[in-house]
Amino acid sequence: MMLKEILNKFLIINGVQAAVVIEENGEIIESIKSGIVIDKKLGSVISTLMLDSKATAIHFGNADLSMVFVEYTNNFLILGPLAEEFYLVIIAKNSSNIGQITYEMKKNQDAIVSFL
Amino acid sequence: MIELLPEGKSIGWMQAPPQWIFTHTVRFIGVVRVVIQDGEGFILIRKGKPLAYYFKHGRIELRGHAALDYFNSHPTIEFNLCKYTPEEFAQALKICNVEDQTPEGAPVAESPAPEHSPTPRAPAEIVPEPVQDLKGAESRITPSYPILSRSAEPVPAIPVVPGPVVLDEKDIRIIGQIKTLNGVVAISVFDEERNILLMGDVDIEPLLKIARSMLVTTLKITPLLEWGSFVHMTLQIPEGNVIIAPYHDYHLCLLTTRTINIGHIRRILRDLQQNGELA
Repeated sequence: MMLKEILNKFLIINGVQAAVVIEENGEIIESIKSGIVIDKKLGSVISTLMLDSKATAIHFGNADLSMVFVEYTNNFLILGPLAEEFYLVIIAKNSSNIGQITYEMKKNQDAIVSFL
Repeated sequence: MIELLPEGKSIGWMQAPPQWIFTHTVRFIGVVRVVIQDGEGFILIRKGKPLAYYFKHGRIELRGHAALDYFNSHPTIEFNLCKYTPEEFAQALKICNVEDQTPEGAPVAESPAPEHSPTPRAPAEIVPEPVQDLKGAESRITPSYPILSRSAEPVPAIPVVPGPVVLDEKDIRIIGQIKTLNGVVAISVFDEERNILLMGDVDIEPLLKIARSMLVTTLKITPLLEWGSFVHMTLQIPEGNVIIAPYHDYHLCLLTTRTINIGHIRRILRDLQQNGELA
């Protein structure tokens, strides 16, 4: 199974617009999208979230980051660390089921990591 | 003394600077029950105007200015806002020996009822008793806090210059309700400079450091996104979640366990924001 096929499992969830595997330096390893463009601005948002959240978690007793959610009235973004400096980012409409997405993220984490 | 006061209807326990009480009770009539370590006291308030102060720790009783000074000597105090009916308030005024005046008039605070007061003692006779402050550091009530007898000078109507009213009783009730949700460890209303209100037993400064750091992140990313208004940001670590969300002109910070239902919190935060926009 290809990495893209695994990411497609997220895209079939109602409301999910993008599933992206990205490195901390901003390099996109793989992505799958529907109705959304990951432009420079969005790339910058993801990079900021990755770096800032990691730094903030250090204030929390040097804790490992489990997940970051950022929600706006129309969309939300979930960022989950995969391995070392790699992250899985899901972007979805706010009508999407956040529980289902996080469940799939945890379920598929090892499979995604095996491609990195 | 304290036990004689009517119970009142509790709005909720919270931690905040003493000044917060005077600036956030403009529509409140009742008693603010204060607990500082093993001691307890109260402030009788009518619409933001304190009418009587009292604090007792062991054999030491502080009244009027002395009690107020002691409250103000703590950066934050833990207290319970208890709302009174007109009848309960009248009873409390009588117990505190406060002359009843029109609500608009300047209140006159006198020392509480004499029958429950100890024999007046000179400050020099006071043996300070150890007091633990909320942070656990041992301190003492210094003799500079005189024990006031019944003939003590009246407390001025307004002890501090009140700042703008930022949260009302409804806000406090809402925040109190969120605090009662299963898994919510603490909730704070904060801005860039200070903690405005805290409910929950946590050390607020490290938590706010994280919250402000998250806020900085949202300020960086929000202008780059066209996804509508910011609803919340949640940072999840193995020990729990830190959630920040806008609230009026301020922000909420929630510390929760990992077991909390994030979907439930999301709905509440969205509702709060929608209601805020409608208000």
